[in-house]
Amino acid sequence: MKYMIMMFGGLGATLQDRTPEWISGMHELMMKLDTELKEAGEVVASHGLVDPSQAKTVRFTGGVPVPTDGPFAEIKESLAGYWIVDVDEERAIDIASRVVAYTEYPMEVRRIMHGDDAPQL
Amino acid sequence: MNADHRIGDLLRELAPQVLGTLVRRHGQFDACEDAVQEALLAAALQWPAQGVPERPRSWLLRVAGRSLVDGWRADSARRRREAAAALDPAGPAPAAGVDDNGHDTDRDDTLVLLFLCCHPALSPPSQLALTLRAVGGLSTAQIAAAFLVPEATIARRISRAKQRIRQAGARFEPPPPPQRTQRLGVVLQVLYLVFNEGYTTSSGPALQRTELTAEAIRLTRLLHHLLPGEGEVAGLLALMLLTDARRAARTDADGAIVPLAEQHRQLWDTAGISEGVALLTATLGSSPVGPYQLQAAIAAVHDEAPTPEDTDWPQILALYQVLAQIAPGPVVTLSRAVALAMVHGPKAGLALLGTLDTDERMAHHHRLEAVRAHLLEQAGDTAAARQSYLQAAKTTTSLPEQRYLTLRAARLHQPIPPLLPDGLGATPGPYAGRLTGTDRRR
Repeated sequence: MKYMIMMFGGLGATLQDRTPEWISGMHELMMKLDTELKEAGEVVASHGLVDPSQAKTVRFTGGVPVPTDGPFAEIKESLAGYWIVDVDEERAIDIASRVVAYTEYPMEVRRIMHGDDAPQL
Repeated sequence: MNADHRIGDLLRELAPQVLGTLVRRHGQFDACEDAVQEALLAAALQWPAQGVPERPRSWLLRVAGRSLVDGWRADSARRRREAAAALDPAGPAPAAGVDDNGHDTDRDDTLVLLFLCCHPALSPPSQLALTLRAVGGLSTAQIAAAFLVPEATIARRISRAKQRIRQAGARFEPPPPPQRTQRLGVVLQVLYLVFNEGYTTSSGPALQRTELTAEAIRLTRLLHHLLPGEGEVAGLLALMLLTDARRAARTDADGAIVPLAEQHRQLWDTAGISEGVALLTATLGSSPVGPYQLQAAIAAVHDEAPTPEDTDWPQILALYQVLAQIAPGPVVTLSRAVALAMVHGPKAGLALLGTLDTDERMAHHHRLEAVRAHLLEQAGDTAAARQSYLQAAKTTTSLPEQRYLTLRAARLHQPIPPLLPDGLGATPGPYAGRLTGTDRRR
């Protein structure tokens, strides 16, 4: 089974007021987890997205698609990065829990549907 | 080095030669390129088990020729005559890589192939992918892995690139003399892009992918061997060697960026530095100076300083001033501002940076903000520095850089910035040296 584990928020929402030690600890945790998932062969893809403040949103306005600067959701609710892991649900929740235990910021775990023939990364 | 490695190296050395011979015989760059890939694959599967054939080049030519003919047979009867010629052992092109006049055709073929793969009608990503496959002898899967994209994407990119080359009516011959310098410039740019893609990955979690830098150096070395008198080719090779020499010190055990001023210089590769310096010394002054030679000279000044404090910043500034004259651009201005700050203080550097605020090409670029942040920090304006770091962190597309910049911002949030006990004040201090640590300015 494949799950997407999603992380939210931009720099402003999650990192801006943390101490250097906290930020270093966070980077270490992410690197460690990344390595662990890769070595276990559990990760299918993992990517961070640029800060949500850099997003463009295309909306249907006045009968035409119009791009505007900024994310669709609020910055703190915007997707910041994700893992796609090939594990069971319990393990996916376990992975997310390890990050949440440190960041105290929510993550979302969701099953990926079958019949998706997009090329796998 | 094990046997598989030796076979891989041999195959990649022979790949452009075999392709060149085939294209000279038959034209049809795209079909020949596919045929050579098939032959390389067959060799990679068979040679490790059965041993390398006595004449590996002829073996590859034969297998690629057969694959080409198979394609044509399936294609149409129209090509029958060509097919017969391809199988004719007394065909027009000799197999040994030396023509009737004793001229080394392999050398010329490789060069012409490079020009063809870096055809101006192609987009840079296509030039990169095609060069790595046709001249570098890498498989589509290897290229895809190096660029962290799906294999199907690279396969389509390559087939579209070959289609475009056909549509552009490009021929398998060297560019005409009036265009040669400009076309060589594109080739160098492609090789430098391959290097930079490996050295400072444009995206993704890892800061460097050494297989791409190694391949860029191998191909540039090959080009230098083919064109020993071209100063800019030598300059680019020197620049790559002098930059790559710092690789081991650029990241710490966790993969985080280590700025130049904080790098453990004993980790630098002295062999690479010596080779780069020797190459540069032999080149400078013997041919017209160009941007790659100047950038190599700047890298050499950094590499030759035993400690950050020993860096000859006035010389670096002088080199940037020459560079700004012969190849002006916002990126050069950015680097020049760093050198200026080191020589004449952060305010002078900040003033020069200010001229970039109205430059469309730079105004929203994260590197402008990152450099400004460092100079503001050096000038003691921590509040403004922090804002600039955060702004740079928001706009960068590199994860390691984002982490680095976020951390710098967070450090300024502390009551006392504990960065360097003796760095702030009237002396320029080693802060600006850190800027060059990202090595993104070139």
